[in-house]
Amino acid sequence: MTLTLEGVSKSFDEFTAVKDLSLQARRGRIFGLLGPNGAGKTTTIRMIVGITAPDAGRVEFLGRTMSPALRDRIGYLPEERGLYKKMKIGEQLRFFAELKGMSGRAADGEIDRWLERMKLAEWKLKRTDELSKGMQQKVQFIAAVLHDPDLLILDEPFSGLDPMSVETLKAAVIELQVAGKTIILSTHLMEQAEKLCADICLINHARKVLGGSLREVKQSYGRNTIALRVEGANGVLADTTLIAGIKQHSDYAEVQLADGADAQELLRRLVSAGAHVSRFEQVEPSLNDIFIERVSAT
Amino acid sequence: MTKLLAIIKREYVQRVRSRMFLVATILGPLVMFSFTVVPALIFQINAGGAQRVAIVDETGRLYERVREVILRAEDEDKADDEQSSVRTNEEMRNGNLKASARRPSSVDDESAYILEQVAPAGRALEDVKRELNERVRRNELDAYIILPRDILETGKAEYYARNLGDEDAVRRLQDRVSEAVSDERLAARGIDPQLVRASSQRIELTPQKAGAAGAAGGRGGFGLAFGIGFLIYLTILLYGQVVLGAVVEEKATRLTEMLFSSVDTFKLMIGKLLGVSLVALTQFSIWALAFLLLTLYGASATGSSFHLPRIAPSVVAYACLFFMLGYFLYATIYLLVGAMVTTTQEGGQLSMPIVFMLVASLWLAVPVIRSPTSSLAVWLSLIPFSAPITMMARIVTEPPPAWQIALSLLIGFGTTALLIWLAARVYRVGMLMYGKRASIPEMLRWVRQ
Repeated sequence: MTLTLEGVSKSFDEFTAVKDLSLQARRGRIFGLLGPNGAGKTTTIRMIVGITAPDAGRVEFLGRTMSPALRDRIGYLPEERGLYKKMKIGEQLRFFAELKGMSGRAADGEIDRWLERMKLAEWKLKRTDELSKGMQQKVQFIAAVLHDPDLLILDEPFSGLDPMSVETLKAAVIELQVAGKTIILSTHLMEQAEKLCADICLINHARKVLGGSLREVKQSYGRNTIALRVEGANGVLADTTLIAGIKQHSDYAEVQLADGADAQELLRRLVSAGAHVSRFEQVEPSLNDIFIERVSAT
Repeated sequence: MTKLLAIIKREYVQRVRSRMFLVATILGPLVMFSFTVVPALIFQINAGGAQRVAIVDETGRLYERVREVILRAEDEDKADDEQSSVRTNEEMRNGNLKASARRPSSVDDESAYILEQVAPAGRALEDVKRELNERVRRNELDAYIILPRDILETGKAEYYARNLGDEDAVRRLQDRVSEAVSDERLAARGIDPQLVRASSQRIELTPQKAGAAGAAGGRGGFGLAFGIGFLIYLTILLYGQVVLGAVVEEKATRLTEMLFSSVDTFKLMIGKLLGVSLVALTQFSIWALAFLLLTLYGASATGSSFHLPRIAPSVVAYACLFFMLGYFLYATIYLLVGAMVTTTQEGGQLSMPIVFMLVASLWLAVPVIRSPTSSLAVWLSLIPFSAPITMMARIVTEPPPAWQIALSLLIGFGTTALLIWLAARVYRVGMLMYGKRASIPEMLRWVRQ
């Protein structure tokens, strides 16, 4: 276990930002820290990286209680994007590496390698204000990974990037994951999380509302959603003992079964009602659906 | 340690390499020069050249005396100038006096006046005045003086000039004429005016420190205390805002979170303070070196020898210590202000009281120098914000007991450390709710958090 949070709480005056949060991030896996804006994601991250101290609870990293020396093993890309405006990219990256306890000479080789990897090699001697926003974001990503951290925390890393850059960045993240790093991805974009994360923790109003491996979470939501393309079955679909809700898409409908209803029963009823069924598929709920359901429920 | 060095290095290298630093290093002395030397030069400019003055002498005896007095006064002025510029060069002064004694008594080109005697020659005074007025109008003359027959008794003469605005010139002429009249009065009673002048020469008091064998001369020490105060004032004026800007920089570029996750804020604050201080030191060294080279070059070019004022080494050491105390103490207040605000503009307004405190302690040095052992002086030299200047003033006037100096330094540097800690605290907590400036009660709450 790389990182463990146990019963962590933080409040500012009257406002409770995080309440009794526990989570575990494992080596070689991407952990999704999910939640709507203002749920407490950033405060949680700040407690992990030591910007604020938790009021209660424990943060454990690499088997020990978090300490300033251990923090050098973390790489952090904050949601706030910023670099020194008048500083050359190469010097800037060297400075951030030194702040993580790396020697300047050791950093130089890594800087070249990463700039090459992010397709920014020719910008090394340019100043920040000559770079586009997307390039600056990639530079900041390099600053987070330069010192080869064991834990990499990325707060909304893909926001504002063009599709090409998103792919470059995503490939780099996956490469780091394969190399055995632990990665925490904080986002409110469920499509991204669904594709990348092995484990998730959903927080809302300062509390954890859902957690575990993506697999388990989806399974616990059961297979009660059916993708359906059908003609002439209006009577059957109106039966509320069978169907809880219908979401109409362009050429199919997503049908939510009512509690206790059976998918086979629905298919039988449709066929006997003389409807023409061209698609009937039991599907897992998307992370987005789960997210919306849980967030609106709490 | 690596992290602290990295912060210091970044602050230093980025600033020293910037174009602003280059411009300030070159323009700084030019601005100083234009604020101090140029006004003095302008004041000395005598655009109109020598003043052409006609003297209507109805007594028939006074013209020669006035001429004599004016010449003598001009010689004295010149001797004075040279004396003060090369005070120590005894030989030169003697040489100069001899030269002035040998000087021919004619009005030469360098003179401020071109004198002309107008004899009434039996004409009515009204006619003479009309003629002279006409000459002034035609710009052949600048002014004329009428010395009436009864001037020795009444002590009244008349001065007519195109320009009465230059009060200084009027007063100067008045002085000359009255000296001439008084010479004439003395001579009339059979007393030699030379004798009177020689016996009424003023006494000069040479200040010497009692008990100290010519170490820190009274006057030199006086200047030193103010010099230190002024140097602190100048450095803070030039670099206070830079310190403030350095602290605000990461807030403006949204880098705080990145930094906070890597380094503790106390280190960050110290790094910024030291980085900027090294920049100041670099700039001052460049100026000092340039000044020294120019002075040495100037001295060798003019052939005069260059003397450094004699100051005891212990006083120099104290001066360095108290300068450092003053600089760091005040720079740290800027650090604190920078931690409180989100933009440098906001910080500029908030830092006004700092400069006021500094100026106030410069003023307070005056009563301290006057009575260095009074309880006011003791308190002022222990309070950290006035200590750098007032304690230095006490050291050069009447050295206080060593424990007081030590206590003053201890309190001062202790306060500085406390202020850095406070700034780090305010910076860290304030960052979590930025977007607005911290109020004082909020700040106190942050510090306790």
